[in-house]
Amino acid sequence: MVPTVDAQTMEAVAIVVHPEVAIDDDNLTLDQLRSIFLAERQHWGDRSRITLLVRAAMAPERDLILTEIYGMSEDRYRQYWIGKMFRSEVASGPKIVFSTDMLRDLVTVIPGSIGFVPVSEVGPDLKVIRIDGMLPGDEGYPLN
Amino acid sequence: MRGSWLGILVAALSPAVGLAGQAPDDPRIRALGFGDFNYLVTDLDGKEGFRIGQMVGHVIADIDERFTFFGEVSLTAKDDKYSIEVERASVRYDFADEFKISAGRFHTPVGYWNTAFHHGSWLQTSVARPEMIKFGSRFIPTHFVGLLAEGGFPTSPLGLGYSVGIGNGRAANIARAGDAGDVNDRPAWVARVRLRPISIVGLEVGATFYSDRLLAPDLSKANERIYALHVALDRDAPEILAEYAHVTHDPVTGSGDLPGSDGYYIQFGYRLPAAYRSVKPYVRVEQVVVQSGDDVFFPLALNYDGVVVGVRYDPGVFLALRVEYRYEQFEGMAKTNSLYAQASFVLTGS
Repeated sequence: MVPTVDAQTMEAVAIVVHPEVAIDDDNLTLDQLRSIFLAERQHWGDRSRITLLVRAAMAPERDLILTEIYGMSEDRYRQYWIGKMFRSEVASGPKIVFSTDMLRDLVTVIPGSIGFVPVSEVGPDLKVIRIDGMLPGDEGYPLN
Repeated sequence: MRGSWLGILVAALSPAVGLAGQAPDDPRIRALGFGDFNYLVTDLDGKEGFRIGQMVGHVIADIDERFTFFGEVSLTAKDDKYSIEVERASVRYDFADEFKISAGRFHTPVGYWNTAFHHGSWLQTSVARPEMIKFGSRFIPTHFVGLLAEGGFPTSPLGLGYSVGIGNGRAANIARAGDAGDVNDRPAWVARVRLRPISIVGLEVGATFYSDRLLAPDLSKANERIYALHVALDRDAPEILAEYAHVTHDPVTGSGDLPGSDGYYIQFGYRLPAAYRSVKPYVRVEQVVVQSGDDVFFPLALNYDGVVVGVRYDPGVFLALRVEYRYEQFEGMAKTNSLYAQASFVLTGS
């Protein structure tokens, strides 16, 4: 069962990357974003490794990502990453982050990192990525 | 920057977070463990009772930012001992998503199941693998020693990916990989292409070609070619896995093309919704058909028909309980009924 997200209480989620990650127009399509979060794509355009930062279970924004990006339940998500490691398709799973503060800090210091935070937690030091040309709050933004 | 140093300190001390974008000072080792415990009731003589299945340890170590070591060792219960096997040991260099190259011992990239689940019994829905790629399979060479290039094109709409390998192929015992060298005068090679569209998570469609020269039971040399297709929708509701392989063996000096042998399976599973989501019933139909003109497989009595019906129950994230009924016919034997009960688990750590 894919986790349900309470649309009334869940705020939009912003995709943030390390400040030196170069992405054309700071924009990814939803499929490109999905390929990164699924570790089908593990390198940025300059061949640097992508480091995926994911909030620990119970964070509402994690539920939103599991619903909209992965389309998986929490159990299936864990099985997915164990399977990826078992198949030698990845060297490790996502880095688990235990708070929004911690994620905000890590995404600014780990080269090649990408993560997600509630839009109200985005600070001026974070580089926010558009999805299909849209920012959090825009009509049609997939992580609203 | 709020709480920055505290966050970084916690990150540095936490096993869950490392500065993975940077080369570590020492190799970071992550580990997975798989195991299973079984009870079997069957018409087959001498097979009933409790049995410990395979215990498998899998490690991954970052040697540096682009070199990674993958290793896997299994312990398998035998009648009078445990056998220890190095299932996989390889070093990989990642140039980019499109090109990674490895050297070592791998799961042969033929079809889907052999690389997707193999010794990771907890990962698969059923108790055991299909007959065509079972433990010690002689129909499909399950392990491969040599070089493997692989990659994917994640920006392509269909998620095109490939694996191309060259290696020793089968050993003199065709159930084994040539760990200590090639037993004949021609290397084996394998090429697999697959599509994994990002818009349908879990879907993979692929085709494989494998070529080797091997020794037939009469010690004559034969050229082996395997043509395989697979379609996998590897998800919970529904799960659909299907593979087909056509294997030919032509004498190196002889009459040319001979009839090939075939193996296939189709498995369907469906995790129940809502309050019953821990339960996943499944069914599998499978067959191996060896032609009498196949001088390599025919003496090995590999013909097989089987129907498998079971239920997987997940009481927790890392434990699976299964009850499975099998109705099978092995070559030269009467039809048999078997009932398996299994607990399988995965351990994770870093």
